[in-house]
Order: sequence, then structure tokens, then C-alpha cells
Amino acid sequence: MSVNDLEGLEDLMRAANRGDMAAYHRVLSAITPLLRKVVRARGMALGREGCEDVLQDVLLAIHRKRHTWNEDQPLQPWLYAIARHKVVDAFRARGTRVEVSIDDFAEGLPAASGPDPTEGRDMEKVLSKLDPREADLVRAFGLNGETTAETAARLNMSEGAVRVALHRALKSVARLRERMIE
Amino acid sequence: MKTDDLIAALAADTLPQPKVASQLLRALPVATGLSLLALAVFWGVRPDLLVALSSYAVLKTLVPLALAALAGALALAQVHPATPQKARGAVLLVMIALTVTVLIATLMRDGQGALVAALSTPSALVCLLSIPVLATPVLAATLWALSSGAPMRPRLTGAVAGLVAGGFAASIYSLYCDKDMVLFVIPAYSTAIAAVVLAGAVIGPRLLRW
Repeated sequence: MSVNDLEGLEDLMRAANRGDMAAYHRVLSAITPLLRKVVRARGMALGREGCEDVLQDVLLAIHRKRHTWNEDQPLQPWLYAIARHKVVDAFRARGTRVEVSIDDFAEGLPAASGPDPTEGRDMEKVLSKLDPREADLVRAFGLNGETTAETAARLNMSEGAVRVALHRALKSVARLRERMIE
Repeated sequence: MKTDDLIAALAADTLPQPKVASQLLRALPVATGLSLLALAVFWGVRPDLLVALSSYAVLKTLVPLALAALAGALALAQVHPATPQKARGAVLLVMIALTVTVLIATLMRDGQGALVAALSTPSALVCLLSIPVLATPVLAATLWALSSGAPMRPRLTGAVAGLVAGGFAASIYSLYCDKDMVLFVIPAYSTAIAAVVLAGAVIGPRLLRW
């Protein structure tokens, strides 16, 4: 993944802001390898799973603050500012102080070795504290690969209700994660 | 949970989030309305309000209002990462510098004795206490709205929120205050606003974390 792959994400992100799920999925998937690299390069002390937890914190922060990107501005500076703030914050919450500069994102860091996609631990702890129905909603999309319509049919809810419930569940997840690591 | 699974869940959550500016525009009228109501009930407006508002004393109401608006614009830029904020900050600084210049010019013309005389009135204490009280709902509303953004420097943004609240409160208080001398208004109002700025800087880091 080079920095150039992140160019032209503005159009996708604008579409995401209009409710285009597939576009938003592409944006998040495109930025994740770079974010993972920066987190791993800076946070070796936390181990691979710890780093993945920090990465998930960063993704949640990007998601929760996505309305603070001005659509007429380039996406990358905004993305790096959010990510840098959250990486530093997430490490501090876990008792590790790290220095992250914008250049870490822009120039790239030496690639971390080892298998790539991994699992975080914090999310399971957080999901176990949620209402089971809410936790199920958060899991449904990734684990079962469900669409909103399928989830709605399975849970006997309207699609709109599923959207609202998922939105609330992710809000609780973000709040709980912040409280948990403090 | 796998990161890819989290991404799938995040991508499915496409409900639009309210903009920070619209949150601010929702919260501010409620808060300033509350302060205005409090002023009307507990302070009362000056009897010669209409005369005062059609004289140069109207500046006492308008300048703090402008200050609040500029501070609000700056605060909004501050909670949108990577948004340029230098121009907004510069306009705000020019405004503050102009006020200080007027104060210094008046001081040089009238002398320090005039300053002491202008401030030696119970009204000074009333002003110093009233503005922060009237600012409280506005500060709460401003910080609430800004916390939905992404403040990169919470203490600074807290201080700017204090300027928003202090500016609105001073403007509201001016409807009661019957002291119109420059040597009273600028020092007393500025000190009261500065207290609110300080309060914002102290609580900002706590309320603007994300």
C-alpha cells in the first residue's frame, strides 16, 4: 500500500456521506493497511493484538468524527490528523507514550513483518457488555456478511430500525471503549 | 473481533451525523434565550434602553456580539481537523487589538485618575459577577456542541468557547448596565469575559475529549 492508493478517496468519501455503504467500505478498507502500519511501527510494546485494538480505536474515531471532514478539503490531511490524535490517545490510555508525526502517514514507515489481518481483544469485552441484541447487530455485518435487509428480516425489524439500532450500538461501543481503557 | 468485521459494521452505519455548526445553531438560541430571560427577570433592562441603543453606547452591545460570532467561527474551524483557521484567528485578534487600542487612547487622553474614578462604583463588581453567571448556559451549550466535533487542542478550543459565551453574556448584560463610559465598559467587560475564557480553558480538556 503506498500513499498514492489513498488519492482520489474524496469522491468515495463524499458518496459515503450520502449513504453509499459500498463506497464507505472501500474507503475504510483502503486506509486500514496504512493505519495498521503506523500503529505497529510505533507500538511494538503492545504486541500484535494490542496494536490491532489501537487500530480499531482509530477506525471507530474516524467513523464517529466523519462529519468533521469538510467535503471541499482534501481527505488525507484530515484523516492523518484524526488518526494521529487517536493513536497517541489510545497508546496513552494503555500506558504507553508514543510520538506520531504526520510524516509517519505521508511518507510511510518500514513494513511490519508477520501475518497481516488480525484480531483485537477489546472489542469482544465491549460487545459482552452491550445488550445482546445490539452486540448481535454489530457482529452481523462482518461475521455473517449480512446486508441491512437480511439483518432486518432475521430480526424481524424494519431496515430503518436496524440502521438506527446499529448507529446507537456503535455509539455505545465507542463510549464503552473509552471508559474501559481509562 | 476481526478488524475487517468491524469495518463491515462501520460501513453499514450510514446514518448521517449532524454537523457541528447545526448543533451549535440549535443550542445557542436556547442558551442565550435562557440568559436573556434571566436578565429580564432578575436584573431588568435599563429604563433608557431605546435611547442608549440609538447612541454610541450600542457598541457595548454590538462589539461583544461580534466578538462572540468571530470566536464561534474560530471554534468551528478548530473542531474540524485540517481546516484552515489562521484567517479566522487573525480577524479575532484584530478585533481584540482594536478594543485595547481604544482603551489605551482613552486612558492617554483622560489619565489614570479617570480610570480609577470610572471603576470605583459598585457597578464594577455587579458586572464582574453578572457576566460569568449569564455566560454559564451559553458556555455549556457551546462546549456541548463543540464536543460533537474533533477538537485537536481541547484547552484552546475550551478558551475560545469561553470567549463565545463571555461575548454573548456581555452583550446581554449591556441591556441592563447603565454605565457607558469607555473607561468602565472596556476594563470591566473584558475582565469578566476573561474570567469566562479561563473557565472554558479549565473545563475544555475534560469536556472536549474524544
